[in-house]
Amino acid sequence: MSVIWLCARHELLLAARSRWLQWFAVIFAGLALLVAASGYVLSGGYGLQDFARTAVSLVQLVLLIVPLAALVFGSLTLSPDRGAAELLYAQPVPRWAILAGRVIGLFLALAAAELLGFGVAGLAVQYFSGPSGASQFLVVVALSLALTAVFLSIAAALACGEPGRRARALAMALVVWFVAVILFDLAALGVASMLRSGAASRVLMTAALLNPVDAGRTGAYMAIEGTSAFGSASLALLRFTGGERAVAALVTASLLLWTVVPAWMAARRLGRTDL
Amino acid sequence: MIRYDGFTKRYGAHTAVDGLTVDVPAGTVIALLGPNGSGKTTSIKAAAGLVRPTAGAVRLGAEGLPATEASARRLCSFLPQRVSFPDALTGREVVEFYRRLRGVPGEATDRVMTFASLNGAGSRAVGTYSGGMTQRLGLAVAMLPDAEILLLDEPTAALDPDGLSAFYGLVEARRREGRTVFFSSHQLGDVERLADLIVILIEGRLAATLTSSELAAKLADRGVMRVRMGQQAPGLLERVRETAPGAQWIGDDLIVPGPTSTRLGALDAIRAAGGVIDGLSAEEGRLDEFYRSIVGGDR
Repeated sequence: MSVIWLCARHELLLAARSRWLQWFAVIFAGLALLVAASGYVLSGGYGLQDFARTAVSLVQLVLLIVPLAALVFGSLTLSPDRGAAELLYAQPVPRWAILAGRVIGLFLALAAAELLGFGVAGLAVQYFSGPSGASQFLVVVALSLALTAVFLSIAAALACGEPGRRARALAMALVVWFVAVILFDLAALGVASMLRSGAASRVLMTAALLNPVDAGRTGAYMAIEGTSAFGSASLALLRFTGGERAVAALVTASLLLWTVVPAWMAARRLGRTDL
Repeated sequence: MIRYDGFTKRYGAHTAVDGLTVDVPAGTVIALLGPNGSGKTTSIKAAAGLVRPTAGAVRLGAEGLPATEASARRLCSFLPQRVSFPDALTGREVVEFYRRLRGVPGEATDRVMTFASLNGAGSRAVGTYSGGMTQRLGLAVAMLPDAEILLLDEPTAALDPDGLSAFYGLVEARRREGRTVFFSSHQLGDVERLADLIVILIEGRLAATLTSSELAAKLADRGVMRVRMGQQAPGLLERVRETAPGAQWIGDDLIVPGPTSTRLGALDAIRAAGGVIDGLSAEEGRLDEFYRSIVGGDR
């Protein structure tokens, strides 16, 4: 068995026994079900939405909750605990392989919890509203998994420093979440509003790719509803690239880079850290 | 073998270890002694590949592989000072994980669990273990591979009697097999009992290298003889002071400091002065005083 898979399995086992992850799975499932059930309530109706409408409603939930869960769980788990880290990293295997295994294990654990939530909501929607729009629902699942990978990777980069700095890693993770999910869009819009049209478009377009949350949102809305659901940043990106395929490629590249680069930084940092 | 070649480690402005050059020959049991903050843990962790030298090098084995390389770590097994494990795992799951990580055959798990007296607790979660049991579990993990070098950072600090017995057994077994054991300790008894050679670090520098008997002799020389007197004869103290000038009364006890060679003479002086001895004890010199004497140049 390879070191990476062995560490991944070990981390998956630990995560599965973690109360924190068990609660996340329950809460995520509850929220997903609530979102599926509450769509018609605001318009005065009742009953469960179909897959397509549920998918649109779930995007916001995923963009808010999934990065937070991955950042918090990742930073808490991957911050080296002195006594455990000293023993683990004294083994004759490369540090990067242990880290890669642990991140993969955490990803699988969080993905399983999210799939449970989507599964519960999906079964309810299927039962009450039929299978129409299921592919759009799957787009949200994919978005969720992509954001989990991105923000676990960022959490690893934040956490892989000297042992005993878990609180600091957690605080930094919360700051990253606040900036990526809440502050970044406001700042981008604020800056764009002070610029002339061309420059503002470039700022918004860059913002849509630079922030993985925005990139994920752009990609998900494009796959679910097409470009009609685009906001200003996504529209700027669409105008610049000239087509949906190019947007999809750029969004995919952005999410891949946000997964690979922080993971590489984490491995590099861990390799140079005195434990 | 382990070779420290001008090993220096600085953390910012603080120098933890300064130019340590020492060879730990294959097949020996070597203890690292020194006061708190003298660089013992940093030196051992450097050999385990956990700490990168600021200057110099730490090399392992006959090939002299840099300790920071994963291949060098195959030569050694390390037990940290305060080992910890995930609370949610059972003791056996912990050992199994490390066994697989090191590619050790499956039967090793039962062997080390028995050795560490954890067989009955193997199916319990580590979160329910006492501190001594956790340290024993660490010892079990360190025992898994048949490594050439065993690196132990204050291994007896948190061990219960079962763990101590296992630890002594482990070191003796490794000595018989011609393996190298390099451990740090504050426990003089462990050092005297186990070590062939003692390396003393003070303020990050190599202060002395002694055999176990040399250390025992030096500590005894800095110790005191305490003589409980049934009867204090007149002029007794003066006669004893002719042999041991530092002798003094503390209550009914006559305290005779100084080298062990003076003690017989002091006892003769007591008898000659008509003193009646009710009891006798000898106390070894304290390690901290010994460290101070080394720094002061009194070796």
